Amino acid sequence: MKKRLLALLLAGAMTFGLAACGNTDLGSAESPSGTTPAGTETGGEAAKTVKVGLICIGDENDQGYTYNFIRGKEAVTEALAAKGITVDWEVKYNVGEDSSCEEANIELAEAGCDLIINNSFGFEPYMLKVAPDYPEIEFISCTNQASAVDELENTHNAFANIYEGRYLAGVVAGMKMQEMIDNGEITADQAVIGYVGAYSFAEVISGFTAYYLGAKSVCPSVTMKVQFVGSWSDATLEGNAAQALCDAGCVMISQHSDNTTPATAAQNAGAFHTGYNNDMIAVAPEASLIGTRIDWSVYFEYAIEAVANGESFEQDWCHGMDEGAVVMTPLNEEIAAAGTADKLAEVEEQLRSGALQVFDTSTFTVEGAELTTCMALDTDGDFVADSEEAVFDGAFHESYFQSAPYFTAQIDGIEWLNSAY
Amino acid sequence: MHEPHSPLLRLAKRDGMPRGQVWAIRLGSFAAALLISALIFLIMGHNPLGAFGTMVTGSLGKKTAIRQTVRIAIPLLGTALAIAPCFKMRFWNIGAEGQITAGAVGASYFALFWADKLPQVPLLIVMAVAGAICGGLWALIPAFFKARWGTNETLFTLMMNYIMIGVVKWLQGGPWEGRPGSQIIPQFDDAAVLPKVLGVHCGWIIVLILMVFMFVYMKYTKQGYEIAVIGESENTARYAGMNVGKIIMRTMFLSGAIAGLVGFIVSSGADNTLHAGVAAGVGFTAITVAWLAQLNPFAMVAISMLLAVLEKGASTLETQMAVPASISDIITGIFLFCMLGCEFFINYRLIVRGGHKEGAAQ
Repeated sequence: MKKRLLALLLAGAMTFGLAACGNTDLGSAESPSGTTPAGTETGGEAAKTVKVGLICIGDENDQGYTYNFIRGKEAVTEALAAKGITVDWEVKYNVGEDSSCEEANIELAEAGCDLIINNSFGFEPYMLKVAPDYPEIEFISCTNQASAVDELENTHNAFANIYEGRYLAGVVAGMKMQEMIDNGEITADQAVIGYVGAYSFAEVISGFTAYYLGAKSVCPSVTMKVQFVGSWSDATLEGNAAQALCDAGCVMISQHSDNTTPATAAQNAGAFHTGYNNDMIAVAPEASLIGTRIDWSVYFEYAIEAVANGESFEQDWCHGMDEGAVVMTPLNEEIAAAGTADKLAEVEEQLRSGALQVFDTSTFTVEGAELTTCMALDTDGDFVADSEEAVFDGAFHESYFQSAPYFTAQIDGIEWLNSAY
Repeated sequence: MHEPHSPLLRLAKRDGMPRGQVWAIRLGSFAAALLISALIFLIMGHNPLGAFGTMVTGSLGKKTAIRQTVRIAIPLLGTALAIAPCFKMRFWNIGAEGQITAGAVGASYFALFWADKLPQVPLLIVMAVAGAICGGLWALIPAFFKARWGTNETLFTLMMNYIMIGVVKWLQGGPWEGRPGSQIIPQFDDAAVLPKVLGVHCGWIIVLILMVFMFVYMKYTKQGYEIAVIGESENTARYAGMNVGKIIMRTMFLSGAIAGLVGFIVSSGADNTLHAGVAAGVGFTAITVAWLAQLNPFAMVAISMLLAVLEKGASTLETQMAVPASISDIITGIFLFCMLGCEFFINYRLIVRGGHKEGAAQ
């Protein structure tokens, strides 16, 4: 009996060993092929190589926020390769907005990165603790605002005028609703948008206000309800919020949150949807009209190329349609209102040329009155804006004094269902 | 030939294994963990020797790397010390997570609202005391219920974690929020930040002092003795005239206070702010540390450093060899499993059916 058991164990050990051997071959076969490209590079023309670290709050599986950064990373690698610049990436995924972010920055700095990109708002304070120790490394905090104004030369902020893309998505949504009104499918006062927002945060408020103004420009009777979910990414909560909005009579859903569940919830409820960060037509072909996203490769190319050439680059960068940093995902022609594509091209051109201001103060009111004054920046640290008048030349100038959005007014026509977040 | 009532394998308790043999089993299990991990690296297409090398150099190879590793080890060691007396008493406190968080809340209150009223040293002392009291009181609640009504402390302390983390989430989005809607509490004033000694916040000195304190407390004090007696047998303790309920509450308060102190160290020294993830799972990992160290405070230093090396090494693996973080988690899991598992073979014997009369059976 014991012998049989022993034999069994032996056999097990042998298969174990065989498997191990098989894998050794696999490993050794793979490693040279892994080193070949590097070898040819050094052997070829003296190309510049930049080592770039990227710290992400999530990973590409979110199909939203971080995925959009990864797309930017891949696009810029290709674009710069054409210019003879090799980008050597070191990426850290699923990093928390706490001291682990500080560790990640140190880790990448020690690994020899020339440039370190932090992709989430909450990373900035931790990045700023590491940056002084590595003056020769450039640090970027996307979407935040302190790096641009601190004493350090090597810290940067960057964002894109995503409100332009929101406005355009709003135009698409507004045209669809106006068509429904004209066809008698809904009455004028039934043109209600439901918006799933993460938090009552400037970036979110700025985004849904732009979206609403875009819709209103083509569908004057539109109103909007905003439901905050209290999370940047919670598929279930987002889906439930979208469902609740549909139940409350919304015929159009949009979102500032990471998942595709609002799109599927809209489709199930027979409503339409416009997305963010990603093309959502595949998950909700009968509902998803269009989406908008930031094309990070534009900024990455600017920053990495500057580092490669040993040049300095802007400490606060923010562009939009003018440089292609904000793009629209494909329009769902099957369900969009007639003439949407033409209108979209027309408005996009107006935005690009500056002929159209998204936050034109003649197009909205706050508590019944036109917005005549609104400060942009907070300089004394109490989180209430106190300097730089953002309203001038007939418009509120978003992302003008700093890249991070600062529009926080509650305009008429938009109802905040819960502002606790 | 088969004995119908005897199973193929059975277990027998064994006592008094020689020291050398005990360590041989431990080393063997460590080697087994290395082998299994190597196999996983191979399957993933990485050179295992290179991977282990990267882990060691990544965590201990440079001054900055060592500092980072020590920073990871500090809360682990502190929390393991905190839960040790509870576990000695067989009181299963799995609420260190919440007690750390409660301590961080107490410390953060003073960091946020008293930084301009107090100079640095008194401020830090007030923060530490507040952290210890908050953590202690949070731990006292389940201890009181246990002592008074015999409630299940495991479930109770676990539930208390979620409540405290919820409280911090509310503070983050509500009264203590910085930029509206950001859900982020502002960074502390410089005065509320633990100073650095040898490049690491001085929390490492605090936990080392705690380690000595805990060793003396458990080994040489009357209270430590009472804890040990209750752990062995509550009835004996009662028979000896000990007030078991009082001792449970006192010990839990101490345990929670130390965990709260860890919360102060993490929020002031490492994060410089308060957030819902301040405990970051340390309250649970520390249970493993305490258990592996068999509640010996000095052994806890080694175990928490080992876990810190694994964590930091795994993080270096991710950047340098593009090994996904999940693989690193698996490796850490294998090490813990093997190391905890070997204690089983130290305490029990596997008896194979028929093994005792193999000569006759063959």
